Amino acid sequence: MRALIAPKIQIQGLSKSYPGEKTPVLALQAVDISVSEGEFVSIVGPSGCGKSTLLYVVGGFLNADGQVLVDGKAVQGPGTDRGVVFQEYALFPWLTVRNNILYGLERGSLPPDERARIADRLIGVIGLRGFEDRYPRELSGGMKQRVAIARTLACDPAILLLDEPFGALDAQTREVMQDELLRIWLETRKTVLMITHDVSEAVYLSNRICVMSARPGQIVDEFKIDLDRSIPREVLFTSDAFNRIRNEVWISVRREALAAEKLNARV
Amino acid sequence: MRGSDRSAIFFTPAGRVLPLVAFVLVWQAASATKWLDPAFLPPPTAVATALFDLLRGSEIRDNLLVTLMRAAIGLVLGAAAGVWLGLMMARSVVFRAYVAPIVGGTYSLPKSALIPLFILWFGIGTVTTVCAVFLACLLPMIVNTFQGVASTPKVLVWGAEALGTSRRDMLLRIFLPHALPDIFTGLRIALGFSFVLAISSEMIASTNGIGKLIFMYGENGAYDYMFAAIACIVIVAFLADRFMLLVTRRYLRWHESAVAREAA
Repeated sequence: MRALIAPKIQIQGLSKSYPGEKTPVLALQAVDISVSEGEFVSIVGPSGCGKSTLLYVVGGFLNADGQVLVDGKAVQGPGTDRGVVFQEYALFPWLTVRNNILYGLERGSLPPDERARIADRLIGVIGLRGFEDRYPRELSGGMKQRVAIARTLACDPAILLLDEPFGALDAQTREVMQDELLRIWLETRKTVLMITHDVSEAVYLSNRICVMSARPGQIVDEFKIDLDRSIPREVLFTSDAFNRIRNEVWISVRREALAAEKLNARV
Repeated sequence: MRGSDRSAIFFTPAGRVLPLVAFVLVWQAASATKWLDPAFLPPPTAVATALFDLLRGSEIRDNLLVTLMRAAIGLVLGAAAGVWLGLMMARSVVFRAYVAPIVGGTYSLPKSALIPLFILWFGIGTVTTVCAVFLACLLPMIVNTFQGVASTPKVLVWGAEALGTSRRDMLLRIFLPHALPDIFTGLRIALGFSFVLAISSEMIASTNGIGKLIFMYGENGAYDYMFAAIACIVIVAFLADRFMLLVTRRYLRWHESAVAREAA
């Protein structure tokens, strides 16, 4: 039975330092987070606090001291079990929308007609029918991020790692994308670890929010979010329950942001 | 708006030729009025007559083919080696440590200065010319490929890794495609160099080729024929460059520069 309740992602005593000018800069210090299967966890904190570094370590792109376990096994490097969406989209500019989505599938073992079917379905899901043969430079920011999400979903990873996925989008597009992500998550119930600096976004989407301190990044606060996801955004955003928790998180993040400001002023 | 309307004529196909026509007319007038000594600068009509005469015979065609073959071999070999070396330099710190100083030291060296050395090693003929072209093409290809590969954003590499790209596939799937715009820039530079080096090398180290032909006409005082031969190579080089642009546009449709290049 223990295996069943073991967390999907387990981050234990994670520390990471970068070589600095004189002394190494400590980016993360003894971070512990565990994420259960199907849980949506967001990490918020002031900019430069090491949130993204944490995600890159979980992704297997960076090494760090401490442990990251996925399904109880230590992360050795990048893997298709963890799909990643970057803030700057990271689409392959030399591939069309369709071929970007097909890219990961082509590295898998599915037969070609099955791959084409999956890609076609995802193009429909992200609403980019008619844009299949366009190149990324011909797309808007929102469209690019949709393709990036579809490309990641195509490989059907158990875990989604989202690094400020909507940070580069305008406010209106961001809301549309958040709704889409929420819909996809409710449908697929994937385990999600998201980095964001947008408190409302974190409250709107997550089951749990971890607040990270200014450098060195540590988890200083944790909030469980228990909101009804079936009610429309405008009702939820104006509800007392939503605003109460949003304000709590916001005050916590603000405290860390002010501390970060002081830290930067001293340097 | 009026200004751009008036200058629009220069951007039509006919308008682009206009300055050339004007240039030839001024040249002809300068010769006709004896303002320029026709012995030193034959008038365009004399050059045209010589050109027609040359095109009737096989001399210009045969020598042009010899030159083009030498330039093409040097360019292809230089480009292939340059892409490989640039790729290796960008991906291996140790390799870069060895090669970078040599590349840096020879980059600004005029490659034609080495022609006497190639004559010493390979004698007069094709090998010497191909070597000179090869070396001249190699360096811009190395430098541009290196630049293109080394500037690959980390997120593209990470994204590819997370989608299951193996280390071996990474070169062909990510680094080379990302470097393609720079590789094409290098190719265009190398193409120009290939003509320069093929012709200058032929002038001093060959018994045939268009370079030798131009040189011979000059030595014999057949300036109208010399100009005609120069005109031939100018046209061929121009067409080669246009062809390169066409190929570039075809393969870089996905790249931002594709739009800018079309306007140029």
